[in-house]
Amino acid sequence: MRKPDGKIVLLGDMNVGKTSLLQRYMERRFPDTVSTVGGAFYLKQWRSYNISIWDTAGREQFHGLGSMYCRGAAAVILTYDVNHAQSLLELEDRFLGLTDTASADCLFAIVGNKVDLSEEGPGDGGQDGGHGPGPAGVGAAPRLPKQVQPEDAVALYKKILKYKMLDEKDVPAAEQMCFETSAKTGHNVDLLFETLFDMVVPVILRQRAQGPPQTVDIAPCGPPARTRSGCCA
Amino acid sequence: MDGFIRSRSRPAAAMMSTKAFTLVPAVEREQLMGDRERVSLECVECCGRNLYLGTSDCFVYHFLLEEKTLPTGTATFTATRQLHRHLGFKKAVNELRAASALSRLLVLCDGCISLVHMLSLEPVPSGARIKGAAAFALNENPVSGDPFCVEVCIISVKRRTIQVFLVYEDRVQIVREVSTPEQPLAVAVDGHFLCLALSTQYIILNYSTGASQDLFPYCSEEKRPIVKRIGRQEFLLAGPGGLGMFATVAGISQRAPVHWSENVIGAAVCFPYVIALDDEFITVHSMLDQQQKQTLPFKEGHILQDFEGRVIVATNKGVYILVPRPLEEQVQGLLASHRVEEALVLAKGARRNIPKEKFQVMYRRVLQQAGFIQFAQLQFLEAKELFRSGQLDVRELISLYPFLLPTSSSFTRSHPPLHEYADLNQLTQGDQEKVTRCKRFLMSYLNEVRSTEMANGYKEDVDTALLKLYAEADHDSLLDLLVTENFCLLTDSAAWLEKHKKYFALGLLYHYNKQDAAAVQLWVNIVNGDVQDATRSDLYEYVVDFLTYSLDPDLVWTYADWVLQKSQEVGVQVFTKRPLDDQQGSFNPDDIITCLKKYPRALVKYLEHLVMDRRLQREEYHTHLAMLYLDEVLQQKPGANATGAAVTETRAKLRHLLQKSDSYRVHFLLDRIRGAGLPMESAILHGKLEQHEDALRILVHELADFPAAEDYCLWRSEGRDPPYRQRLFHLLLALYLGPGPSSTELTVAAVDLLNRHAAEFDAAQVLQLLPGSWSVQLLCPFLTGAVRDSIHARRTTQVAVGLAKSENLIYKYDKMKLKGSSVRLSDKKLCQLCQTPFSEPAFVRFPNGGLVHTHCAASRHTNPRSPSPGART
Ligand SMILES: Nc1nc2c(ncn2[C@@H]2O[C@H](COP(=O)(O)OP(=O)(O)OP(=O)(O)O)[C@@H](O)[C@H]2O)c(=O)[nH]1
Ligand SMILES: [Mg+2]
Repeated sequence: MRKPDGKIVLLGDMNVGKTSLLQRYMERRFPDTVSTVGGAFYLKQWRSYNISIWDTAGREQFHGLGSMYCRGAAAVILTYDVNHAQSLLELEDRFLGLTDTASADCLFAIVGNKVDLSEEGPGDGGQDGGHGPGPAGVGAAPRLPKQVQPEDAVALYKKILKYKMLDEKDVPAAEQMCFETSAKTGHNVDLLFETLFDMVVPVILRQRAQGPPQTVDIAPCGPPARTRSGCCA
Repeated sequence: MDGFIRSRSRPAAAMMSTKAFTLVPAVEREQLMGDRERVSLECVECCGRNLYLGTSDCFVYHFLLEEKTLPTGTATFTATRQLHRHLGFKKAVNELRAASALSRLLVLCDGCISLVHMLSLEPVPSGARIKGAAAFALNENPVSGDPFCVEVCIISVKRRTIQVFLVYEDRVQIVREVSTPEQPLAVAVDGHFLCLALSTQYIILNYSTGASQDLFPYCSEEKRPIVKRIGRQEFLLAGPGGLGMFATVAGISQRAPVHWSENVIGAAVCFPYVIALDDEFITVHSMLDQQQKQTLPFKEGHILQDFEGRVIVATNKGVYILVPRPLEEQVQGLLASHRVEEALVLAKGARRNIPKEKFQVMYRRVLQQAGFIQFAQLQFLEAKELFRSGQLDVRELISLYPFLLPTSSSFTRSHPPLHEYADLNQLTQGDQEKVTRCKRFLMSYLNEVRSTEMANGYKEDVDTALLKLYAEADHDSLLDLLVTENFCLLTDSAAWLEKHKKYFALGLLYHYNKQDAAAVQLWVNIVNGDVQDATRSDLYEYVVDFLTYSLDPDLVWTYADWVLQKSQEVGVQVFTKRPLDDQQGSFNPDDIITCLKKYPRALVKYLEHLVMDRRLQREEYHTHLAMLYLDEVLQQKPGANATGAAVTETRAKLRHLLQKSDSYRVHFLLDRIRGAGLPMESAILHGKLEQHEDALRILVHELADFPAAEDYCLWRSEGRDPPYRQRLFHLLLALYLGPGPSSTELTVAAVDLLNRHAAEFDAAQVLQLLPGSWSVQLLCPFLTGAVRDSIHARRTTQVAVGLAKSENLIYKYDKMKLKGSSVRLSDKKLCQLCQTPFSEPAFVRFPNGGLVHTHCAASRHTNPRSPSPGART
């Protein structure tokens, strides 16, 4: 097995389409998925680098694993469902805290998925998009007005910067890092991943230059925002 | 390559074709506790052949395990009971660990770890022990480096405390105590790193620095934690939702989790498998792809542990061993379900367990099989790599393609077969596009392989197959193959080439096999249009070239007429371009000339070759060639008198020959030319006969070509002495000034001649000839030259006279000197060569004064070994 040079982690509520996005990109298809258990990863060769992309489980039950998956990550993709406002709120409430363990110069992308389902979306319309529980499974017919606007994602991005105490000037612009995608039609999926790969390469190089990662990092740079939840809550 | 490794859960049922393990009983309950119903087995340790069991009634049992392999390939175990010992408490034995380097068994019972001897089970006399331990773990990656101690890490009965000890043969020493944020419940160690299950989360704790790192939360009230070291710096942990989570000492996960059931009790690792135990099943997952591979029903299990690769499960009453299925079988199972990567990893993993030679044979075969699987999926790059690393006998691959192996090939496929395919058609199910791709692959593969040692021993099979593929695909490399060193088998290849109408190539094949006659016949047939093959548009020239360099004269003669009929000019090259040393024997010029009688243009070329290139001086060739030129000139003359490039060209050749050659019969030609209106040629011929006046008269009077006349003089006087040349020039001048109607042209010519060639004339004579009316001005250059020449001549002559006189004086002096002294012969004077006295008055005296007999002097010149008399004195 090849050793990855860098890590990208997909985070987001269950059913927003993380697994579907990854499969669309890696396998060029949109198969039926089952809700992810635990996590899974792909290894992607980008130029001369091996990048591991972790698909995490959105289910509450596995929430506790997130911090470990994010440890040392070079980029985090925060995924929500554009037709499901709550999924965006969850990113801030539940998932942002998990990224404290990520690399100090970790990149953040915010991705609104399933644009094919909403009225303004570029999708092919008609077909059933989601299934299973949650308001995201809107079923076959009428297209709904999009519940989350791109501006909302941009606002979240800026909040993240504040949370991380980063200066907007030092990081990619919000417009560059907020995407609206459809795993179903493939809309913006390649753009999302490949933009990120290109941005991650310099991060990898910087990490390398700094030598092997500090094994123990007891003082994460962000404020302690652990949300302890899960079975023991 | 844009490759990726997939690592995610798929429905388990589809994946369970492997049988990685079989469950074999090792110790049965009768052996252990007989009929003591309420007693149960609490813990197990296995170290080499030693198996230790601890019971709830405070006994430790020692067994020796013996492994036997049944003819079916499966292993069985018999455990022979050795000593057993009661530890003297009323408590259960909680844990057992052997430290074989110390011959000690560490026994945890009643909160105390005591050291007992591995065989006698007697406590060490010193009574050394670790008190206050709730649980313990051995460090399998110890930091101390001391082989006579083991590192033991205990969960202390003190709250939130971990202690690290060094345990020696008969003493223990605490080295560290660390406190933890919460109460630890389970521990594993690797180097300085402790992996701990606390009450609400797993953490990594560096006991040397005290730094800790959270891994993930879990709920100890709901289930028992599992912390298991699986290899260098990596642990396996029971996570939420029945996950088996992997974590490194750096606190990251490098493998995706495996998905167990919710109530897993124990986990073990037997690379590449992770084994888990719950109340009903033993499940086997692969660490490589996280898939579940096998499920074994197993009720009431409560211990699952691995010991140096041996996996043991136990119920309260009995001990079982999970025996890996024979590797071969597992690998074959994986291959059968086309799981190449897994099969390879598994096979490779066996490197440590089986002898090197056996491993190599096995592994090579797996590589080859894997190669065929990839091949069948048209993953050619991967297949190639596997074939190469597996050192596949290429014929295995070739034999998949119908008809490619030569009929004579002794090859039979290996048994058991490396793949399931009869042939390519079956493999591709007749999909022609796929067939083509497979063929293209084989072409490139064979081409790469043929020059390597992989082809050794069956180069014929490889090259013949390659030839067939090339021929079939109309590939350019077919010709390259045939004109370079190759091992194509004649009969097989010939039939195939014929079938595919590759006649030109077939010719090359014949040629390569020293059957030039067949080759040429075939090519001639192509040129003649009897068979069709457009490989070479210049095949005729090719054949000519081929014959030119052919070493077989019969072949050349056989096809001489054919090549000449096609083109005299090109055809004749088989004679003219032939390497010279080759022209001597079977290619006698006379024979060739006879042969060429019917082909006049070819004949001209050939004679030119003899005369100009080879400079043969045979009169016949020269005369013949001149005659042929002449014939042509005469033939062409009436039609296009003065014009026509061809006329001038042949004439130019004719003149050139007449001028340069001295070998033709001049009179004969002169007769032929007479009256034919070829004045220039006549002039040349007259010149050859030294009939300079005739020649020059033609040039001056008939042709009025004054430069030619001058050239004539130069030409004819080449290599002659100056008077001869002078004579010619005077002759010419005389013609210019001669009687008859003197034209201005002739006068001008005469002036020019004199001025230009002043040196060639005897000025005194010339002056006599010149008309008195000519001005000095007119002849100025001539006169100046003449005067200077004459003065120069006088002076050089004077110098010569002076030199000759002085030379003469020198000789005179020498002569005087030699005459000056006399030689006296007496009995005492001996000949310098034979050392005998002189008996006659005649003798020879060398310039250095030495005297010898006349006969000795004579023999000295014939006998080089006699010493030179000059050297002796
Ligand atoms: N119409 C539509 N449906 C989508 C899209 N992406 C995902 N889905 C559907 O949404 C459902 C959930 O997708 P997943 O990819 O499994 O979601 P997830 O984020 O991986 O969920 P968890 O693994 O539980 O965290 C599936 O039924 C998908 O088919 C999309 O872009 N458009
Ligand atoms: Mg998922």
